[in-house]
Amino acid sequence: MAVTAVHQLAQCITCHAWSADRSMVALCPNNSEVHIYRLVEDKWEKMHVLQKHDQLISGIDWSARSNKIVTASHDRNSYVWNLERSEWVPTLVILRLNRAALCVQWSPKENKFAVGSGAKTVCICYYEQENNWWVSKLIRKRHDSSVTCVSWHPDNILVASTSTDGKCRIFSTFIKGVDAKDPKNESRFGELIVQLDLSPSWTFGVKWSPSGNTLAYVGHNSVIYFVDDVGPSPLAQNVVFRDLPLRDVLFVSEKMVIGVGYDCIPMVFAADERGIWSFIRYLGERKAVSSGSRYGSQFSEAFGKFYGQAKQGGSNDASETSRTRGVVHENCINSIIPLSRQGTQIRRFSTTGLDGKLVMWDLETEQDLLELLVH
Amino acid sequence: MASTLRPYLTCIRNTLDAAMCLQNFPCQEVERHNKPEIELKSSPELLLNPVLICRNESEKCLIETSINSLRISLKVKQADELENILTKKFLRFLSMRAEAFQVLRRKPVQGYDISFLITNYHCEEMQKHKLIDFIVQFMEDIDKEISELKMSVNTRGRLVATEFLKQFI
Repeated sequence: MAVTAVHQLAQCITCHAWSADRSMVALCPNNSEVHIYRLVEDKWEKMHVLQKHDQLISGIDWSARSNKIVTASHDRNSYVWNLERSEWVPTLVILRLNRAALCVQWSPKENKFAVGSGAKTVCICYYEQENNWWVSKLIRKRHDSSVTCVSWHPDNILVASTSTDGKCRIFSTFIKGVDAKDPKNESRFGELIVQLDLSPSWTFGVKWSPSGNTLAYVGHNSVIYFVDDVGPSPLAQNVVFRDLPLRDVLFVSEKMVIGVGYDCIPMVFAADERGIWSFIRYLGERKAVSSGSRYGSQFSEAFGKFYGQAKQGGSNDASETSRTRGVVHENCINSIIPLSRQGTQIRRFSTTGLDGKLVMWDLETEQDLLELLVH
Repeated sequence: MASTLRPYLTCIRNTLDAAMCLQNFPCQEVERHNKPEIELKSSPELLLNPVLICRNESEKCLIETSINSLRISLKVKQADELENILTKKFLRFLSMRAEAFQVLRRKPVQGYDISFLITNYHCEEMQKHKLIDFIVQFMEDIDKEISELKMSVNTRGRLVATEFLKQFI
């Protein structure tokens, strides 16, 4: 089985991020706090609770080298947390947004971060040394609807963003003084490089491949889009799959992508030698179609039954059926984060979902996938 | 009549399985607010196409989805005047106690008898397949309940009339 560990850390997890050495995980248990847990001898201990936001935290990212945590919340604010003598100290970042922040990511060099918001804009923040604070620059060109996900290209300049208007837009975020001037890439800040209008439905989960050559994102119409050679003439492919839509993707190598979503099981997609992407298989057993459980025909019983059986993992037969189905996550998986990196390949990753579970996966046990990874 | 019930319910179950892919989404119109987009209908890009499933002319089910909420409206079969009154009173009784059901809407959508409103918060607290089971079970039982009520009304009427007329024998 590809699953190495399952941990129930909260009732419902919105997002999570790992520290650089993967010993600590920061997650949001569906409220306005960030809980940082450390794995101490097989048990998870809550080390810190970061309380500063007023509303749900929609995005957390932990930078690997500078050890800073950035959080973005529905209350339109973002904080950068620094570890000072075992206490996490917040620094407010004035994002100048008038709607909720929906996603956040550190750039590869960790000198900037991007925030996508419900104000239909993407905001890029960088640290200004002279004034000792984080400055935000809004990308002028707006999307037509809320920005759901942002992802940085490995070159630290381009950022891709997906939105609920179905489009994926790639912007340049070249900032004078922060980014080194690149003679072959003369782009201004906020310039729209490419606009991809491939999906008729909402788009989520955009990610770049390790080399930055390929872009992948998912649409709510149960399609995953792959765009090769992003530039003036991109080559787009879409893979339609039968089941419920995905929420997030991860490039485990240049040619393999893991997608997670409403099906509660990760899906593996890979490109063959010709570069054609297709669905390979699920990482685990597919759950069987559930049959209707008996509730009794009297409505006076309906009140009690509704409470007793509909709540998470309440009655005995609920746990029975999930065991026989062999499904790890019981509710939608909403994020997937890499755990270990071997060159450009990722063998281990973690997923969190609305069921409050943090699951760690390892591809070492999946022989057929390992062969595809290596190529 | 029963031969169309199974496919009708299976169709509704499959549609709900696909439609109940909800996520938390803060309001785009008002800052710091989080509202069910299907009730608000302010941003058309956040709404999906509504699906209408009809069993026959008098029974149908409308499923409207948005990014964070889902509304299911049912029209129950009412064969005669008595069933009409019984259905209205019974479903009104349930709707007024909507808090206890959590997913029930207090007023049915125009043109329907009863409506459910399921938001992403319900999907986070409760399991999706259990919610779908509840809705489908509700639909199965409502027909039984109405016919039971109708039968008991008729029986009571007959008993009362018999007793009353005995004095004239």
